Parts: sequence; C-alpha cells; structure tokens
Amino acid sequence: MDVGIVGVQISSHNEVFGKTVRDAIYECTRGLLQKLGIDKNDVDTVVTASSDYYQGISCSNSYYFEAAASYLKDATKVEGNSIHAFMYALMRVLSGHFGTALVLSVTKASEIPQISELTYISSDPFYQRPVGICDVTAAALQATKYIKEKRAKEEDFAEVCVKNLKNAFYNEKAYRKMLIKVEDVLNSPYVATPIREYECPAHCDGVVALLIARRERIKEICNGYIEPAWVAGAGWGSDPYFLGDRDLIKSGGLRKASEMAFKMAKIENPVKEVDVAEISDTFAHQELLWFENIFSESGVDAIRSGLTTIDGDLPANPSGGSLATNPPMAAGLLRVAEAALQVMNAAGAHQVADAEVALAHQTYGNAGQHHAVVVLRR
Amino acid sequence: MRRVAVIGIGQTKHGKRNDVNYPELVYEAVKRALEHADITIGDVDAIVTGSMPAPMEGTNDPQLWLTDALGGYLKPLMRIATCGSTGISLAHSAYYHVASGLFDVVMAAGMEKMYENDPQGTMTTVAEPFYQRIFTAGAPGIFAQQCNAYIHRYDIPKEKLREAAAEVSVRNHLDALENPYAHIRVKITVEDVLSSPVISYPVRFLDLCPISDGSCAVIFASEDFVRKAKIDRVAWVRGLSYAGDEHNFGDKDLVNWESAIKAARETYRMAGIENPIKEIDVAEIYNPFTYQEILYYELFGFCKPGEGYKLVLEGAVTKDGEIACDPSGGVLCTNPIGASGLIRVAEAALQIMGEASNQVDSCETALAHAMGGVNQFNGLMILGR
Repeated sequence: MDVGIVGVQISSHNEVFGKTVRDAIYECTRGLLQKLGIDKNDVDTVVTASSDYYQGISCSNSYYFEAAASYLKDATKVEGNSIHAFMYALMRVLSGHFGTALVLSVTKASEIPQISELTYISSDPFYQRPVGICDVTAAALQATKYIKEKRAKEEDFAEVCVKNLKNAFYNEKAYRKMLIKVEDVLNSPYVATPIREYECPAHCDGVVALLIARRERIKEICNGYIEPAWVAGAGWGSDPYFLGDRDLIKSGGLRKASEMAFKMAKIENPVKEVDVAEISDTFAHQELLWFENIFSESGVDAIRSGLTTIDGDLPANPSGGSLATNPPMAAGLLRVAEAALQVMNAAGAHQVADAEVALAHQTYGNAGQHHAVVVLRR
Repeated sequence: MRRVAVIGIGQTKHGKRNDVNYPELVYEAVKRALEHADITIGDVDAIVTGSMPAPMEGTNDPQLWLTDALGGYLKPLMRIATCGSTGISLAHSAYYHVASGLFDVVMAAGMEKMYENDPQGTMTTVAEPFYQRIFTAGAPGIFAQQCNAYIHRYDIPKEKLREAAAEVSVRNHLDALENPYAHIRVKITVEDVLSSPVISYPVRFLDLCPISDGSCAVIFASEDFVRKAKIDRVAWVRGLSYAGDEHNFGDKDLVNWESAIKAARETYRMAGIENPIKEIDVAEIYNPFTYQEILYYELFGFCKPGEGYKLVLEGAVTKDGEIACDPSGGVLCTNPIGASGLIRVAEAALQIMGEASNQVDSCETALAHAMGGVNQFNGLMILGR
C-alpha cells in the first residue's frame, strides 16, 4: 500500500481544556499544517471522528467544520471508534479520488456528563439498560470471566496500571502520570468488582490530527524530508451487541480485524514481527485480553514475563495508553498517532528503540464490541 | 479507477412503525436489499451505517445495538453521521469502500425511528450553543429564513413562487401515491396547499416534510463482482461529490449556496455532464421543503438563478417534462432522516434499473442528492446504465 502518515499532531488535555471545541481543533489542525509546511489547499479531503452525545452538540462536525480545514471540501464524519475515521480516510486515498486526507478526532470529557452515563444509554432500553450495563459494569463482567478462565490475578491488572502510568511520565502529552506500586492499586476501592479505581480510563480532553497521503503526493508536499509511517495493514470487525451473545474474552471481531491487518501487512508471526503496540487499555485487564486476541499469545504471560514493558521485546502502550490519557472518542486515533510517532522515530522520551513495525488497536462499545487494527511500517 | 455499481436496494414501509423496534425496522430493509441483489449476507464484505444524532432515538451509538440486525456479525462495520446528508454520505462511504480495492460488496444502511423521541428538540441541538441555539426553532424556522432570503435576492414575484411551491407539493404527493413505501399518501390540490396553516412564514404545513420511521439499505459492488456473479441489472456510479460550508447563520449565503453549487459542479465533471437538464432523466433531490426544491433546480444548473419557479409552472420538472424531479414523492412525503438521503440513491438506482414504482420512460442517467446540518452540507451522486 503506497499510503503513509506524514504528520501527527496531538493536543494534550491542558492544551485543550480552556478552549472551545472549535478553537482546540483549529489550533491542532493549524499546528499540523504548519509543522508540515503546507496549507489547507494541500488537504484534499477530511474525515473527522466525534460523537454528538460526547460533545453536547448534535451533528458535531457541523459545529467545527471550518476549524477542521474543511470549508467547501468533501469532508465527512465517523461516529464510534475513531480508528474508523483513519480507515475511511485510507479508503478515500486508496480509491485514487484524493491524494491527501486529514484525519482528526476530538473529545472534551470535561464538558460532558460522566462517561459511564453516556455508555449506559448506549445500552438498549429493553434488556441491558434496566440491568445497568455501561462501560464499567460490562468491563467488570468481562474481567471476572477473564480471571476465571485464564487464571488471571488482580495483580496482573494492577501491573498494567503500574506500567502504563509510569510510561506516561515519558510522554509530555499524557494526562495522568503516576509512580505507583501494585499494592496502591489493590488497596484502592473497587468501582465494580473486580475493577479498581486505577484500572479505569483517565477521561480527559484531547484533539488528535494526522495527515495521510499517497506516495506521489508525499514527495510533492514534503520535499522528501519526511519519513512517513507507511500503512502496511488495516482491519476491522464486529462482535454481537448483546453481552450474552458474545464470548467476552474471545473476540471474533478482533480476530477478524487482526487477521485482515496482518494478511495485508504480510505478517506471519505477529509477536515476533511487531516491535511496539498501542492497544486499547480502556480498562486495565483489556490490555491483556486484547493482546491475547491480537497476538494469539497469553496476555497474562506477557505482563508477567515483562514482554510488554517498555524494556521488553514487545512494549505495549509506551504512551501510557488510555489508563493515562483517554479523550473518549479520540482515543482510537490517538493509538494510531502514537504508533506512527514510534515508526517515524518521533516519540521523544517514550521512543522504543528500532521500532520498525507498530500496531495500533482500538475497541469501542461496552466490553469492547467493535475493533480496529492498524499496522504501520517504517 | 475501479468501477462501482448498485446491485440491490431495500426499504421499509415508511411511516409510524409501532409494530417494530429499531433493530427489527432495520432488518426489514436489509433483508429486502439482499433479496433484491440476489445475494446472501455472507456475500457482504463490509457494512456502513448511519442515522441522525443519537438523541433522535435516545440510544447512544445506535450502530452498536443495530450491529446484529445489519448482519454485521464479525464484519467490518462503521457509522457515518452527517445529519440530513447522512444517507448520501453512507452511499459515498460504501462507494469508497469498494473503490479502494479493499472490499467487493459493501452495504450502506440508513435508518431513523423519529416517533421515539423529540425530533425538533434534537435538531435544535445542532445549532452552536452560545449564540445560535436560542434562535433556532427546529427545521421550519431555518428553511423559512432561506426562502425569504431567496425571494428578496432575485425579487421573485411572491404569488408566482407560492403557486410553484404549491404545484411542487401537489406533484410530490401525487407521485407518492404511486410509491407503496411512501409515508404520506394523500391526494391534495394547489388550493389545499395555499390554504394550509402557516408554520413559519411563508412555509405552510403542506410545504413541509413529515417525520417518519423507516430504513433503507443499498448494496454496492465492484465491477469484478458484478461480472463474476453475472448480475445483469445494475446502476453504475458515474460521479459523486460533497461539500460543506459555514456553520454560523450570519456567515452563510443560503441563496448563492456554495456547497450545493460546488458539489454539483464536481459531480457533473466526474460524470461528464455539461447540460444537466438535458442529460439527466431523473433527479431525486432532497426536498424537505417545497421552496428549497425549487432553489435546488437553480443551484444544480437546471435553469438561471431566480427562475426555478418558471420550470415548475412550465411543467418542466414532471415525468412528462424535461427532467423528472422526485418521482418517488421525495423527502416531502417520506422522511426517516438517516435513511432519506440513501432513499434518494435507492430510488435513482431503481429508475436506472427500470424497476421504480413510478418509472420514468428509459431513464439512462439519474441524480441523487441530500442536504445536511443546518443548511450546511450538500452531497450528490449520479448513476447511469
């Protein structure tokens, strides 16, 4: 695939908090264009990801349209997993109709109700809502099953917290950075058994923007001085809606997404060939769970052996992941952005050495229903 | 570039559907689309779905709940949402899914269940919260503003425009009587329209679309698939484009409406169309309000600015005229918003396939269009034999 990510711009919580959604998007977009030395006329199409309920403004992209460099452009909006916006932008460029695409996602958790309230009303009104299914309670049911079937221990989940919150110290854009011990996590209150306070995502504000382009356009607009993160593979898939219809720890949708992405990227031994992974750790146990589904290797063993620590052979979430920084809808695109930074050797203090192949993953929906996987290569 | 065709469509009986819940409503359209295309859900490689803002039905991220009814089990599925233009954005997305080379068969499905919640309240929350929301009174107020600006800009004789708008309403309603899926199926006269209550001056009750429950699914496929599956009746996508303009009311020019003009121009360029009124046989224009349909004739180049009403009074936009506009009855008679834009594509495709309920003789080229936001987005698609 001759499409690459040429630039990434991440606005941290502090950079976004005091601004309107419009101003925050404008600054992030302008920052990206300036960094690349291009202007909005070099952007052929725009795909944004935002959610009306998560913004308090219906038809959310209508509000920030001009701020996202979209005036009079063929621009559209994805709702749900923001990695889907990346996928759609990729398809627009692959079709040959567009040479460059701006992909952008925003969420301001500070301006909206509790995220668990918003996920609660994503439960259908007849069966799951009356029982109280939201992101936290669904995750708790899933974590319980994971403990029973994979003999995971609460200590394993706590280790993920310790790892990611410490990784966040080396990420200037991260929101929650903490040096904690496993005991700190295990002594914190349960939010919904067995999920503890630390093991929940760090909801915050954020804007993420990136520019993808076809090979010929990259040469044109970047004068050859940018090493893009080439898109090697992309895949996405879905699980059934009702929790009772799913295997909460074996995700068919994620298997499908991973297989599609690895096949495209010609990767046959993922755990060996992928150098770094940004995996949706919306709840701590999910980093292990999704790792297992993606790489077909035990998630519990991965954390216990140190495979996924920053010094391990396959670091997971060197950025700190969602446990450190979770602008709810933008989190997916943030995974892609962080993976791109790794491949472009631009991750600064949290750069993983020799990161040639990076994987980004995001899940969306209670207990993780829709999955998307992107593989990037130097 | 890869050629893409519509191979099948399905839609529900639109209206007040208390007999089904949201997933069941969607299933009805999906099942019919698969039957029409003569394929199974196993043949579908990916799905793209969308609807109005989730507050419309009161369930957040409805694409999650609707995954199973859409046949999305294990499949790549994403939600696209651009307000009223969602339907055309869905069609575009499905097109790009196939045109990218990643998929061969992709289903677009739009839906709405408007009787579930407060539509005007939901639409009011589209407006920017600090300065504009206070002035918004749902959709009718916005369209009335546009209509008044239109009349003043070109100094259009009001009685003539009102008469033309009434004829547009009568024509759409009569056409809807031919469409078994349409929501509003009543016989009305010009006098009925002119004497119906004023909702927001000069827009009257019979100048307006209804709120409807409904769903529509359209299946797109690659040229390879069409050939291998030996499908002989398809509608090829010949051109498509989309554009958006300003959000703030004060920044907009809704008469010289740039996003509509640009999207149309680019779509025509792709489709090789130079004289739209001559070369297009059917135009399924997004027409929630009669006056807006007339303005669109001008924006899409069917006639000179300010002269749209003449096309109506001359009979140019009827089935027997130069360009049949909304022979399905349009949005004016059927408006499940998330599906409305996609229904335009479906009806245009049926016309090309020769299977429309209100079929126009030898339709070779058809246009589908949808508008979204508070008069902000316009998207078009041209289909042909």
